[in-house]
Amino acid sequence: MKICPNCETPNREGTLLCEECGQPLTGVPSTATTILHGTDTLGQKPSVKTWGTDHFALGAALVIRIRETNESLTLQVGANAQLIIGRIDPNTGAKPEIDLHRFFAQEKGVSRVHAALRRVNENLTLTDLGSINGTHLNGQKLAANQARTIHDGDEVRIGKLVVHVYFK
Amino acid sequence: MTSSPDYYALLGISRSGSEEDIHLAFRALTKRLHPDVNKNLGAATQFREINAAHDLLSNFSERQRYNAGYKPDNASLLNVRVTTSQRTLPLLDELQVLYMLVEITADPALIVGTTEARLNLTLVLDLSKSMKEHRLERLKAATNSIIDQLDKDDILSIITFSDDAEVLLRAEPLRDKPAAKGKIALMQPIGGTEMFKGLSKGFVENQRLASKKYVNHIVLVTDGRTWQDEPQCLDLAERAHKEGIGISAMGMGDEWNDTFLDQLASRTGGTSEYINTSGAVVRFMNERVRSLGQSYAERLTLSVAPDPDVRLELAYRLHPTAQPVMLDQDPIPLGSLQVRGSVSVLLQFQLNAQTRLGVRPVARLDVTGDVLREQRMGYKVIADMSVDVAEGVEPAETPLLLMDALSKFSLYRLQQRAEQAVNAGESAQATRHLETLATRFLQAGHTDLASKASEEAQRVRETSHFSAEGQKALKFGTRALGTQEARPQTAKPLALPPPSASTPATGTPAATRREPPKGLP
Repeated sequence: MKICPNCETPNREGTLLCEECGQPLTGVPSTATTILHGTDTLGQKPSVKTWGTDHFALGAALVIRIRETNESLTLQVGANAQLIIGRIDPNTGAKPEIDLHRFFAQEKGVSRVHAALRRVNENLTLTDLGSINGTHLNGQKLAANQARTIHDGDEVRIGKLVVHVYFK
Repeated sequence: MTSSPDYYALLGISRSGSEEDIHLAFRALTKRLHPDVNKNLGAATQFREINAAHDLLSNFSERQRYNAGYKPDNASLLNVRVTTSQRTLPLLDELQVLYMLVEITADPALIVGTTEARLNLTLVLDLSKSMKEHRLERLKAATNSIIDQLDKDDILSIITFSDDAEVLLRAEPLRDKPAAKGKIALMQPIGGTEMFKGLSKGFVENQRLASKKYVNHIVLVTDGRTWQDEPQCLDLAERAHKEGIGISAMGMGDEWNDTFLDQLASRTGGTSEYINTSGAVVRFMNERVRSLGQSYAERLTLSVAPDPDVRLELAYRLHPTAQPVMLDQDPIPLGSLQVRGSVSVLLQFQLNAQTRLGVRPVARLDVTGDVLREQRMGYKVIADMSVDVAEGVEPAETPLLLMDALSKFSLYRLQQRAEQAVNAGESAQATRHLETLATRFLQAGHTDLASKASEEAQRVRETSHFSAEGQKALKFGTRALGTQEARPQTAKPLALPPPSASTPATGTPAATRREPPKGLP
């Protein structure tokens, strides 16, 4: 999809002149999620499961570390909180709680609304929200919309973006 | 004179192809075009022909007989060039749009000498009371100059109509020009505008001597609206098209129904034109007749069969005259191709989300026409269009030719939107469209049209209506842009993107298939 800079009409990919006002759309960024082909055969071996604790205490913080760059995000996960993992939607400006935009999320095939982290009492669950390129937990692909409990030190792959989660 | 289609070209196999080749080619096409899997109008048309080709070629004795009677063409009689907006599409989980510009030209090697095509021309002239003296005098002058222009072997018939229709001149070769002119002098305005009566008599006259070897054409000149017989007129146009007769419509003044005349002409591949001053009628009619006489190929049609997951969204003829194309008809009538001219059509497709990498077929195009100069009827060129689907596609520069065509269409579409908004009583919307249109005209350097558009924007804001003159001037002015500048040799980008020195990404796409090699035993 391309949003016309003149009249804000959404135009389908490949449209050259805005269907509403005739504005040229060359150079207008696309809002589409890049589909990565063969995400399962990228040659990344699933890392050994760390068997960390699944106990996520009420006051605990969650650290998400990007494997490639070693940058990390620290988050508080309150009672009954639900955090969406994804990237900012350039159409609407809607921003997920965990916005991976600055980690080259689009190139890495992260959907705008990709997955959700939820606190269930003293556990954390991860749910893939039907993303295009899928979510992997310790090398295993998650079925969409099915929650899985995560453990300290787990490896999560969001599209092609690999992160590790730590409880603190 | 051959008229049977090239069955090998239809299946895309060589003349020496084995029985298995025939079956494999047919199976592959069935998967794409069979009505069970493909609901597109053009697919049904093309599948019928493919089926006929398969039936004939898979019957040994019929194939032998066909081969024996087949005379290979000594050259490619029609050049078809298709430019796509993108050759590689990104793999995306959403709808995508792809444009194609189809250009049909004559092979330059075949254009030698200046022998003119033989015309079978019928003039259908409106003599209703609104044709006041001034207009009528110009119409008479125009008709006389057409008589001067025609050759003795050309066939001319003239019908006049008002409340009733009358054959002023029966269809026959124009041996006695003074006598014909004498009859013109007697034309008098009377009564109303019963167009169907005039057109149907014109059709009968034209059909009497019509031949595939001629350019058969009806030119309708009117200045008013017909009453309640528009659907009948459109049916007649469809019949005329089937009989190989084209219709062009010319509207004088501001009172006639432009949408109706567009439909009438489009159904036969003809043109409809707006004559704003009665003085211009002489020029318009002369040009029309001259261009008919320059015909290289007649009854050109384009059939578009998109693949099952592709939809044809619009077709707009840019050349020789800009004309919207109705999508309820396949093949699309394109009229005639002039000796040194071209016929070009802009197509817009919507493609469903892609799921696989690699070659993705988009549509099969079939251009068919009667090449008068070579006495070759039903000549066909098939172009199978496909794109590549790949990951991480860099946005490529759009071919300028296509951008130019699309810019012109875009202006026309804006103007149409404004009209629709006015008709729906949404004058705020209409004003906005007209103001945008004015801006786009300015950007493209068409200052006359820009000021016309702002003028009408003002008028619509104040009165919720166009002026009759302004509406037609805008519509036909916008269209004329396509006609004047869309020639491939002089194509310039209208506005954006800025021209660059890099190689234009036009050229015949690799997937375009010409007819298979000929002359093989």
